[in-house]
This record gives sequence, C-alpha cells and structure tokens, in this order.
Amino acid sequence: MAVATAPDRKGIGGSIRRIEDARLLSGRSTFIADIGRPGIWEVAFLRSPVAHANLVHLEKPAGAEDRVFFLADLGAILPIRADSQAPGFRRSDYPAIADGKVRFVGEPIAICLGRTRGEAEDLAQAVLVDYDELPAVADIAQSRNPDLPPIHPGWSENVFLESRVDVGDVDAARAAAALSLTRRYRMNRQAIVSLEGRGVVTYRDERTGELVVYSSTQFPHVIRTALAECLGMKERELRVVAPEVGGSFGVKNNLNPEELALAALTRRTGKALRWVEDRREHLIASAHAREHRYEVTVHADGEGRVLGLEATIEVDAGAYSVWPWTAPMEAGMAIGFLPGPYAITSYRATALTCASNKSPLGPYRGVGRPGACFAIERTMDEIAAALGLDPVEVRLRNYVRPDQFPWKSAGGKTYDIGDYGASARAARDMIRPERVAALRQEHAGSDWRIGIGYATYLEQTAHGTAEWVQRGLPVVFGYEQAEIHMTADGMLVMDVPIQNHGQGLETTLAQVAHDELGIDPAQVVVRHGDTSLAPYGMGTFASRSMVMSGGAVGRACEALAAKIRKIGAHLLQVTEENVRLKDGEVVAAGGASVPLAEIAMAAYLHPERLPDTVEPGLSVIASYRTARDTGAWSYGTHAVLVAVDTGTGLVEILDYAIAHDCGTIVNPMIVDGQMMGGLAQGIGTALYEEMPYSEDGQPLASTFMDYLVPGAPEVPRARIEHLSIPSPITRYGIKGMGEGGAIPPPAAICNAVNDALRPLGAAIDETPLTPDRIIRALMAPQAGEAGA
Amino acid sequence: MQPIELIVNGERLSAAVDPRTTLADFLREAADARSVHLGCEHGVCGACTIVVDGRIARSCIALAVALDGAEIWTLEGLGADPVIAQLRASFHECHGLQCGYCTPGMLVTAREILRRHPAPSEAVVREALAGNICRCTGYAGIVAAVLHAAENLAEGEIPPL
Repeated sequence: MAVATAPDRKGIGGSIRRIEDARLLSGRSTFIADIGRPGIWEVAFLRSPVAHANLVHLEKPAGAEDRVFFLADLGAILPIRADSQAPGFRRSDYPAIADGKVRFVGEPIAICLGRTRGEAEDLAQAVLVDYDELPAVADIAQSRNPDLPPIHPGWSENVFLESRVDVGDVDAARAAAALSLTRRYRMNRQAIVSLEGRGVVTYRDERTGELVVYSSTQFPHVIRTALAECLGMKERELRVVAPEVGGSFGVKNNLNPEELALAALTRRTGKALRWVEDRREHLIASAHAREHRYEVTVHADGEGRVLGLEATIEVDAGAYSVWPWTAPMEAGMAIGFLPGPYAITSYRATALTCASNKSPLGPYRGVGRPGACFAIERTMDEIAAALGLDPVEVRLRNYVRPDQFPWKSAGGKTYDIGDYGASARAARDMIRPERVAALRQEHAGSDWRIGIGYATYLEQTAHGTAEWVQRGLPVVFGYEQAEIHMTADGMLVMDVPIQNHGQGLETTLAQVAHDELGIDPAQVVVRHGDTSLAPYGMGTFASRSMVMSGGAVGRACEALAAKIRKIGAHLLQVTEENVRLKDGEVVAAGGASVPLAEIAMAAYLHPERLPDTVEPGLSVIASYRTARDTGAWSYGTHAVLVAVDTGTGLVEILDYAIAHDCGTIVNPMIVDGQMMGGLAQGIGTALYEEMPYSEDGQPLASTFMDYLVPGAPEVPRARIEHLSIPSPITRYGIKGMGEGGAIPPPAAICNAVNDALRPLGAAIDETPLTPDRIIRALMAPQAGEAGA
Repeated sequence: MQPIELIVNGERLSAAVDPRTTLADFLREAADARSVHLGCEHGVCGACTIVVDGRIARSCIALAVALDGAEIWTLEGLGADPVIAQLRASFHECHGLQCGYCTPGMLVTAREILRRHPAPSEAVVREALAGNICRCTGYAGIVAAVLHAAENLAEGEIPPL
C-alpha cells in the first residue's frame, strides 16, 4: 500500500501508531461482558420461535415468578417509536418485550434471570407460551399480498412507505435513446456481525441517583435521550456508558429493545442485570441489512452517454421501524444514490419499503449505497457490453466533471468536489486490463474463466443538519462537541461524545491536537463513550467522527492555544505575537521557551504568575459543524480481476485495486486499515454472506457454519492509491471514509464475474454470488445456447 | 457441582464447577481471564483461543470438567513470553488490530503459527489463520504482523507452552 507521508509526522498526515493498541493487545481492556456488579443477574431472553403469532397465554414457571418478567412487569414504558416525517409513512410501535403479539423469529417475549446464563436459559425454556400462529409475510412479494394479515394494527398493506423521484424529462430521454436496457438486480439480506455481540449491563447508583446503563453502543448520549423518553425519566437520572466496543458497523447504532427492557427492569426491581448477546441471538434477532431489489431501465445514446434512468426499488425492512433511522432509510438512501457519480439529469424512480415478519433492517456499513452502487454499476457495464465499449470508457463519458461541482444530483444530493475520472483511470492503471487476454489464453481449455470488473462509488460523509432534516428522522445529527482541558502537569484530556470502536479515533484526534497545540500525541488522552464525561454529541456513524469530532477538537484546541500563548508570552516576558506553540512548549522568537507543564501549573496552582487579563484554568468546550451541511463526498473506483471455476462455481479474486479520494488524510495507516476492513465486508456481501428465510419466516442461518464470514484466505491484500482532494466544506479538508471500502465490492466483483461468464452467455445479478447461483446461471437456457 | 483442579497461567486452581460450564466461562469467572473473548460460542471464530497442555484450543467448546488436571495458558499468563512480546510489537507496528476483540485469539494462534513455521510464507499464514475471524481489519495488518514478527524474532526454536 503506497502511502506518501513523512514518517516523522505526528500531526495530520502522519502514520503514527495507535495510542489505543497497548490496552487492547494486553487483552485486559473492558468490554461489556467484562463489567460486573456484586449480585448481578445474568439475563436470557425468551425469544419467539415463530414469525407471526398472537400470544394467547403466557405463564411463568412455578416458583420463578420473581425471575421471569413480561412487558406488564416492567412498569410504565413506551414502545420504541421511530416515525419518519415522510407523508404516507405507516407507523410501527416496537415494544421492549412483546406486547401480545410477535412479529419475527427472535423477538423478545420474556426476560429471565439466573445466577448463570445457563440457569437463565433453563428458565426461559420453562415459560409456557400459547401461540396463535398467523400467516407470515416472509418475502417482498408477499408484503403486497392482500390475503396476508397486516403486521401492524390499522395497516391497509404491509408497506412502510412508498416514495418517488421524478426529475428532468425521462420520456424525452426514452424517445431520444439509441439504447434502452432493462435489468433486474438483487442484493440479499445479511446479518451485520460485529465479532463482539451486543450487550447491556444495568444497575442503580444510589449515590448519584442515576440508573446506569452500560451498553455496547455507538452513541451513548442519543441512547440516553431515547431511554429517558421511553421510560418517562429525566436525562439526569440516566447515565449511559459505552465501554470498549468490539466492532459495530451499524448494528450497535440503534435503540434496541434489550437496552430498554433491562433499564426498565432495573428501575422496577433495583436488580443489577447483565445481558450478553450470543451469536445465535445476533444472527436472528440483531438488526439485519440490505435486501434490495431493483428493476432499472437506462436510456443511452449510441456512445453510451446516459440520457435517462428509471428504477423501481424494493427493500424488505422487516417487522419494525428502528430508532432513530426509521424503516424507509434504506430505500430512501438507495433512491437518492442510484444516479451515483454520473451526470444524470432525467431520473424517475419509485422506492418501496416493505414490511415483513423478519428481523428489522438497520444501518450497516454503507447503508443503502452498496445496493444502489450494485444496481447502477452493473448497469454501466451492461451499457458497455451492449454497445461493445470499454466499461471504463463508458463511465468516463458519464461522470460528473470536476468543473461541475458543487453538483446537485438527480437524487437530491449535493456533491462537494472530486475527480471521479481520475479515480477510474488510476484503478484501471493498477489492475492492468491488458493482461486479461494473456490470462485467458493461459487458462484456455480449463474450467477457469477470467474476468475484470470496475465499480465507482460515492460515500456521502459527515452530513449535517440539511441532510438529516431532508431524511425526516426524529433526530437531526447536525454537529459535534468536544470538551478539552489541560491537566495541572501539562497533559491534554479530551472528552468527546463520539465512540471509538476500532477506528483509531483516540490516535487521530490526538493528531489534530498536535497540529493545533504542538503537543505530543502521547501526551493526549481521549475519553469517549460516557454521558457523564463528555458534553452532548451524536456518536460515531455515517463516517462522521473524523470530520465532526476532529472539527470540534480542532476548534477547542485553537481556543486553548490562544490562552496558552497568552500565558506563555507573559511568562517569557515577550508579546503574544512573538510566541508560537511547538514540541510541547511555548517558544519565543528569540528561542527562549516555557514548557506546557509550567504553563499548566501557573494556570491551576499559581494564579499569581498569570497576566491580569487571563482567568485561571485551562479548559474549553467547543461545538463544530461543517461549512455546508450536505456532506463531504469521498469516492473512488475499485477494480478487480477474478477467476471463475465453471465446474464448481467458485470465484477466486486474483487481484484487487482501489483508487480513492477521502480528502485530507489524517493517518494514512488507519485509512488503509479502514479501507481493507470495508473491502473484507464488501467481499462478504459479494460472495458469502446471506441471511435466508424459509417461507414461514424461519431464519435459515443461525451459526457461523451456515452464515459465512470471510476469513484470511478469502480476502486479498488490495493495492490502494490515495488521490486526496481536500473537501472545501470541512475543517482541514477531511472527508469521512469509514464506509467506502464496503460499498463497491459487490458491484465490482459481480461485474468481473459477468465479464468472465459473458462469452458463455451466462449472466448473474444477485448477491451473494454463491457457487450454487453461478452454476444455475451457467445452466440457464440462454447460457446453454450461447455456449453450444 | 464437580471438583476440578488445574493449572492456569502457572497457578494451581481448585474449584467446584457445574458440569455444563464451558472452559471459557470458567476461565473468565474463576481465573479472571478476561482476555478469553467469546465471539461465537460454537468453535468457529477463534476469539477464545487458549493453550491447553501445549496445544492451542477453543475454550468455548471445551467443558471445564473435562480439563481436570490440565495446564492452561491464556494471554494473561504470557506477558513474559518473548514470542508474544514480539507479536504484540508487530501487531502495533503493522496495524494488526482495530476494535481488539479478536486480538487475544489472534496472538495466541499466531504464536503457534510461528512455532510450527519459523519462516512462514504469506499463504501459510493466511491458511493457518483461517480459523480466526476478524471483522475489522480485512486481515492485511494481521498477516503483515505475523510475517513481521517472524522476521524480527531471535533465531531458535519456539518451545510449546
């Protein structure tokens, strides 16, 4: 991975090694399962074994009445209500524990307590439940079947929302087109799979009067707000803490019924409780992701320029609208992002968010965009194939040009800056398509078919007020805060409400502080994940933290630096204009200097040394939002070379190249790590990961033996090139980049597989590209005819 | 409850256990071995990998009662091991971890890879890591770290634990 950076740089741009590594390498840091209390009870949830049923009778095991709890035992508690502001949205109330009805396999029915998890599970097995089963809606097609019962009361059909876009003149595009193509694509349902599952610990702190909720979550402050509302409590009566979080990727970015259930039960009983999700629970009952279907019709001229785009998008959002994202978020993102990096001005589409008796859909790295990217990037390749053009050339003819920014897309988004063509050319240069002919020659006569595929993606990041208002969510994530102080011995402590779950933010925020204060990152402590430590903030998701929290930390440090300079100049007996901060000292023009520790000592312990105009203490709280709040847009092109075994249907990735732009890079090593991690998950979506359901709504993958996560042999080391055009709307020019790696791999890999199979007349447009699906594509009638 | 006695990280440990208690749960509760992370509890993800009588094993699919008399090492007990020390340095240098949840299992497994293959190829490392799932890194940093450790370890055979 070519990383151009000065090796000795500690601030923005330096690949310094991570501050958080030592405690994680010790194995001794504190994840949710490591948090205990004297007398703590282990929690097991009795979860529904059926997809759709009325609960006609519930009975606690004799003698265990004080260890089994139904909804009615939890006291006053509101259901989780994630309402979209979009007109026509159908509401779903998501209770902490089933309220007389279950709507998906895995939905909690009872909370059971034991001294061990085993005892609690025994109890769950002994609860008597009479299910009056109802027909299950287990498929998108069934959600519009009027013969099936409504999943929620008062619904006329099992659809959360239907939304439409119609801009430009699609009919004129159709009339003018030399080529009109219609294609159907499917990206199937996935689990999200953080390696550490979710988990919650609750207890009462009698000293502070707080109900303490430890949760493996991405956004503790927002969870506190939501819990307070559902429980009818004051925010000050709740403390929410995210301990070390073992991966999230979106699955820990929802208000979960389990969080609400444990908090309510501790409030009611005073008992300390611990629930640690196991893998089966995670796979069937944690939020799922994807499950998109597309019918795309594209109209193009004879040179492959897109004149108009039409689409019908269907998403199966499962049984409930998750808070705060709302059920239509996924389809809404898909319809907004389908035009992608292309200068498409005529666009007509419908997005349908269906409800079903499956686990609710929540955000997962990329949210909506992997599906939209899959659909548009497959379509670009189809245009190229139909016209006999090079797929990169077709893209180059259609990209929004660098001189067209800011670009208002047909999907209603505002792209800030970029050179999409540069990323495509760079990726093509890295993958070297000229070697494909020789590879094909080499494998001629064998079962192996060689293909090459490209996909360009956009990653809207750090979007603020305007975007979240447009999406109609219950919370508008428009800003971020940071509170910083210098200790009396000169270290910097930064309390931030974002959450670090592997992104290395303790290191990168310290790098920002280094640039502003000249302080060594090793002298900076970042504390996060605790509502009692940090001011209010939104948490870590949507590739926002480096931009938003970096901006807040930068502003806070800038203000602190001004005060430090003032004190330093006074101590050095020079004017303020003649000092600067460097290497942990305030340095005067003549070379005299005073260390930060001495300034801190004056500020806290020796106010007699301070100038009259300076108040004692060294602390600042600052807030930050981007200059324009429609997002900083990262983008890039992935290029992949594959071999497909037409005998077994296996796909092997021979080479993978990424050229991307995430603006100013704070730490190239960490950026490469994020990119590789996203790629691995994208490969999972493309080739392995699927959460299928039976016709009666039973999830068919509940272990890692049937839900396949990529391992070290399946994920090649990609070559990564950074283009780095700074964003004009963010402090330091940073763009977020946590999700981009996961967005285009399904499209790029599927394009490569189709390139390999095209000479055989076979086509495949559904992820994951399992051996079974590839073999079936090869056996389809048209493949047989073309191959004969 | 059944009495067992085993040696955990060099110390003798006697306890009465419920026969269904997994070794992982036992070590976490009775020996404060919180480095034993549970990612699947069915023997696939490798996060709970420890050393039992000189061989690496998944503690989530072993029962504590079946290990009566065994000698066990978890990452907690390996602070003085030079191979683990090098691996920790290499994981730090090569960005071989993000959230840190798979990391203890990766370190214990990596030590065993280096014991069996003093100068492994990248392909060998990847194959040998196939039983350890990492959801964050895409494995690039982990594979690089194991190769980096192999290059930087002092010559000589690595003993089993």
